[in-house]
Amino acid sequence: MVFVAKTRSPDEWKVILSTISTLVDEATFEATVEGISFRGMDPSHVALIDIQWPNSTFERYECDDSVKFGVRIDELSKLIKRASKKDSIEVSMLEDGLLTIKTQNDYLREYKIRLIESSASSTPLPKLNFSSKVVLSASEFDKVLSDVQVVSEYISIETEAKLVEFRGKGDSGEATISLNSESVGLEEIEVKEKSRATYSLDYLTRITKAVSSSGGTIAAEYSSKMPLRLECRIANIGRIHFYLAPRVQD
Amino acid sequence: MAMPTATQIKKRLMANWIHFLSTNSAELSKESLSGATPPAVFVGSYGYPKVRVGPMVPPIHGDTTVFDKPELWIGKDIAEIVNYRKSLVMGVSRTDIHDKSSRYIGSLQELALTRRSVESEALFENKPIPHFDELNLELDTNLAPFGPVAPLKSFRTASYPVDQRLERSYYDKDLSAVDGIVDLYRQGIEVSTISRIVSLGMLGLEKNRKLVPTKWSISATDDVISSHLIKTIETFPRIDSFSVHKFNHFGNYYCILLIPDELWSFEMQEAWYDKHGNVGIGTDFEDANGLDHYPTIAGAYFAGRLSVTEFLFSIRHKAAAMILREIHPEYVIPVGVWQIREGIRGALKEKAKLFDEFQDALSFACSTLSISKKEWLRNSKLYANMKNQSRITDF
Repeated sequence: MVFVAKTRSPDEWKVILSTISTLVDEATFEATVEGISFRGMDPSHVALIDIQWPNSTFERYECDDSVKFGVRIDELSKLIKRASKKDSIEVSMLEDGLLTIKTQNDYLREYKIRLIESSASSTPLPKLNFSSKVVLSASEFDKVLSDVQVVSEYISIETEAKLVEFRGKGDSGEATISLNSESVGLEEIEVKEKSRATYSLDYLTRITKAVSSSGGTIAAEYSSKMPLRLECRIANIGRIHFYLAPRVQD
Repeated sequence: MAMPTATQIKKRLMANWIHFLSTNSAELSKESLSGATPPAVFVGSYGYPKVRVGPMVPPIHGDTTVFDKPELWIGKDIAEIVNYRKSLVMGVSRTDIHDKSSRYIGSLQELALTRRSVESEALFENKPIPHFDELNLELDTNLAPFGPVAPLKSFRTASYPVDQRLERSYYDKDLSAVDGIVDLYRQGIEVSTISRIVSLGMLGLEKNRKLVPTKWSISATDDVISSHLIKTIETFPRIDSFSVHKFNHFGNYYCILLIPDELWSFEMQEAWYDKHGNVGIGTDFEDANGLDHYPTIAGAYFAGRLSVTEFLFSIRHKAAAMILREIHPEYVIPVGVWQIREGIRGALKEKAKLFDEFQDALSFACSTLSISKKEWLRNSKLYANMKNQSRITDF
């Protein structure tokens, strides 16, 4: 069995790991001929992350079989953070039960970390049809969430025609953030039918902060009273899907 | 027979106390005391990290094991328990929590390896000072009460047998404290004995060992064991119906609602009456992500969580759980967090009443409580979460 995945910088792993760490402490990745993937829910099953990291985005990628490897996110993060901005990162499995991480530019670092027992259960994706889609720059989306978080723990998203409204309500008052197709930061809006749903801000701000550091855009898709799906497209990673179950009350 | 009122109970406790002091006046007016230690050792929190540490000895010979083994107290009268506790004379010496290598701490650690009472003799700097009021500095709702206190000069015991299981953990200095606690629990050691070992810094990696104030050691032990049990319970099938278990003792009314769910969540609510008859309610909650704050109801939370997880483990099922505790004025003197652990264990030994609907289960639970169902629900985060937050797996 061969598995070697090399990226040009540590940034790709940093985004992946900080994204996953918003939901879980331990992660099981799967590497196949096509690339690396991860799928997992938080312990209370409110959110799900689905990552596809295709082989074409790596500087070098070799995998001739399907292999699962489980890691503690904080342990792997610590090692990745040792790398300098310009270091390449090579992750491989040369020995049983150990993951090898080599960082190289000025000098070579080689770490080996013990793998943890990987979870065998596969998480199915929710079956969804979306009636609304809004695309924002990640930094703009992060701003909108913070605007609402000032007064509320939850955010209601309402879309109609070419308008999207983000609302929040708390003990101290209410917030409404409106964006239309003219607004700066709103890159795309597509509404098949008027939709409204409410989600926990806690989960949303954590995931948005994790992906917004690398720039890029976030496409949010949902339907009334149905889960939200964020699609984050990040250079050299492919895509991250984040699903969030709605609040039931209105 | 009518239930005794708070005033009657208080009067009886006070009479017992005066009786104890007068019967033992000769013993207590000396600077030495001989008696059988249960064994009991106290580690204070006041002045941390330089804390008061010392053995407790009653002016009583023979088998006093029960005096510091709360697992044996359920079903007893509050006066009897207070008698055990108030007769324990504590000799204290101030010690840094890291100073575990001194001969004094070593001798207390040795003593904690036995699970039966031991004849002992304490010499004090001055005569023990009796107290029976809220002025006692260390009176704490998490701790079992105790009697007169005096600075300790020296302490000696007769020889005694040590428990092999405790001894093995004590000498295993490569085993983490968490693994040590879980191991002892699995081997059937009582929680009260484990927390005594924890408080004397006798578990864990050599470099991490230190003294832990008694009240923290109790919560830590309940926390560690229940966290371990939660992980195991998650692999069991869920219960089929809503169930309610009830139990009352010492003016404490417990209702435990078990809720069929694939995921763990736990809530404990406590309601108490102040001097003016006003109600206070404290609520703490965790979902499957675990606890994200130190509970406002403190050690009670971990004691409740231990009892519930222990029960679910014994029936090999998973569930979400809600504990409602009402503290009535007849609970005149806090007797320690063990009372909560044993009260909820007691409730879960009673036959449950089963329901198909959450609302019906809660109505039944509230039928013997004084706080209304509406009030409990208003404070319940578990209920709000269950009602308002969907899951990915629902779609």
